[in-house]
Amino acid sequence: MDVPPKMLGMPLVARISERSTGLLYATLAAVLFLFSGIAHAQPADAALYATGEKLFKGNCASCHKPDKDLTGPAMKGARARWDVKGDIYAWVKNSSAYLKTGNPYATELFAKWNKSVMTAQALSNEEIDAVLYYADNYAPPPPKPGAVDASASTGTNDEGSNWPWLVVIALLLLVVGISLSGVRTSLDNAVREAEGKEPLPDMTTGQKFRQWAWNNKAFATILGLFVVVFITLKLWDAAWVVGVYGGDEVPHYKPEQPILFNHTLHAGKVEAGNLAINCQYCHSSAEKSKHAGIPSTNVCMNCHQAVAEGRSPEGTKEIAKIYAAVGWDPATLKYTGRTEPVKWVKVHNLPDHAYFNHAQHVAVGKLECQECHGPIDEKMDVAEQWAPLTMGWCINCHNTKDVKMAGNGYYDEVMARLEETDMGHAELKKYLEDEKISVRELGGWECAKCHY
Amino acid sequence: MSKSKRTPAMTLSALALVVLSMASCGGDPNSPGVEYMPDMYRSPAIEAYVDFGQDPYMFTEEVAMEQRQRQGARLPVAGTIPFAADPAKAEFNMPYAYPNTTDGYEAAGMYLKSPIEMTEATVEQGKAIYTKFCMHCHGEKGEGDGGVVKNGNYPTPPSYTAALKDLPEGKIFHSLVYGKNVAMGSHASQLNKEERWLVVQYVKYLQNGGKMQLETAATTATTAVN
Repeated sequence: MDVPPKMLGMPLVARISERSTGLLYATLAAVLFLFSGIAHAQPADAALYATGEKLFKGNCASCHKPDKDLTGPAMKGARARWDVKGDIYAWVKNSSAYLKTGNPYATELFAKWNKSVMTAQALSNEEIDAVLYYADNYAPPPPKPGAVDASASTGTNDEGSNWPWLVVIALLLLVVGISLSGVRTSLDNAVREAEGKEPLPDMTTGQKFRQWAWNNKAFATILGLFVVVFITLKLWDAAWVVGVYGGDEVPHYKPEQPILFNHTLHAGKVEAGNLAINCQYCHSSAEKSKHAGIPSTNVCMNCHQAVAEGRSPEGTKEIAKIYAAVGWDPATLKYTGRTEPVKWVKVHNLPDHAYFNHAQHVAVGKLECQECHGPIDEKMDVAEQWAPLTMGWCINCHNTKDVKMAGNGYYDEVMARLEETDMGHAELKKYLEDEKISVRELGGWECAKCHY
Repeated sequence: MSKSKRTPAMTLSALALVVLSMASCGGDPNSPGVEYMPDMYRSPAIEAYVDFGQDPYMFTEEVAMEQRQRQGARLPVAGTIPFAADPAKAEFNMPYAYPNTTDGYEAAGMYLKSPIEMTEATVEQGKAIYTKFCMHCHGEKGEGDGGVVKNGNYPTPPSYTAALKDLPEGKIFHSLVYGKNVAMGSHASQLNKEERWLVVQYVKYLQNGGKMQLETAATTATTAVN
């Protein structure tokens, strides 16, 4: 092999051609870069990282985040920030004692973070090292699968959207039919012409129809009757659902809200990857008042002070709308004092002449929210009207539902009075024939119960 | 010829338009649709969450617009004391004396004591409130493992059985009034004072490992934890 003298000292691979050396170095660099990338995502000392993570979650996580400011500063880079300015170990173990030594950086930190005292931590130097190692090498966890997107809408009335297409198809068939009849007439005329007869009189469709009806009187009468009955029935059905925006027969009223609050994500079950917050956490007046209550923005902020990011970019945008309304600056974690109301759209519009009280149904009747509001924690993002809210719907439940009498002073009194007299006793016996006392039997069908 | 053809075509297209417009009307989730007799829907008296300004029989469009822009839900005037039907519970309605500062927190821990005696009934009531207002973060047993923490990547609250085992009741109450740190907000707007004390009772119960404890056994220990 004819090797140039300057390449003799090189390894065989490099000797193949001078150009390949460059390629080799590039590959090496790429491999190194890749490794450095992996090293960033997965810390070199996984055991120390895990120890640090455990300690962090147990001792620090209620006030610190690894990568963001919370009650205290982000822990990432804390060691570098302290560096030579003071003793970070002494600070973590007992910050108020360390403050008394007059260290200027400690004093500055204390002043910067609203003079809130950091809880003294019973940790050893090694444990603090582990926590700081965890914070410095922190990699955010991957998002939870099965997360419900705020922007995703759940079509509850998909089956209803087919019928306009059916109508279009029917119309197309009609048009085809009419053109075919036109073709037939021309053909008939052509045949008549060939046979030497007079062409058919030029009639409009209406005239043709009338002629046909005159020739088939019985059939036309029956058909006409059917059409009239059909239209009347349809109108009758339609009249029942005018002003009804929930239930099985009509599409549900689901107005677009100023903030696309996702009920499923907040109130859904833990197993489904949701947060399982009780309905009454936000609608806390449901058991005390006539109204379930639209939560004021301070209730949102009970959690969203610490949660500025949604599970999707859309969710983050919706959270930003709360901040705008309540006047919160997520960058400085402070209130600006500039507030504006959120203009929620009312979903359940019960007429004024019907009285409904949430407290009666939630606190006394012990109904679950879902019995009237539907699977709001399972498949409703933005709230919609689930129940029809018609009088028939109300009194049907009053007729069938049994009253939960136990542990309620009001019903104890009712029972005592019923058992006082013979007449009352007989009445009670009648109520209990089906082994339950319905709301109707206690006067739940009296007009003035709801209309006054 | 052409005249006789146009008539059915026009009728048909008109029919199609009507049908389609009806279909689009019914399917619009944003439309509250027809409202029979709005004066029976909208109360002339002020009613919470009812947009009475929409009634065209009562207001001109200008007044209605102005009504629609008004804010319904408001805070009570600062310092408002609720009326107590039961005089025994009047003390629950007095203003809270401890300020929202570190000193106030420590002072509440030292001097603030529950006015409710701990019984099984109050613990039971406290549990019902805890389930609605605390469990999603603090967890069923108070170990900081609720759904919000599990699935929401939320700052973990310290456990009642470990870091907060000896937290005095005054400090628990103080945290309910003003919130604690950034992660826990104030729950004063959701719980009245009686309910807050009932929750405190249940937290004490959890701190004790789910057992009833003698009154003021742990509360006299006023060591400043946390």
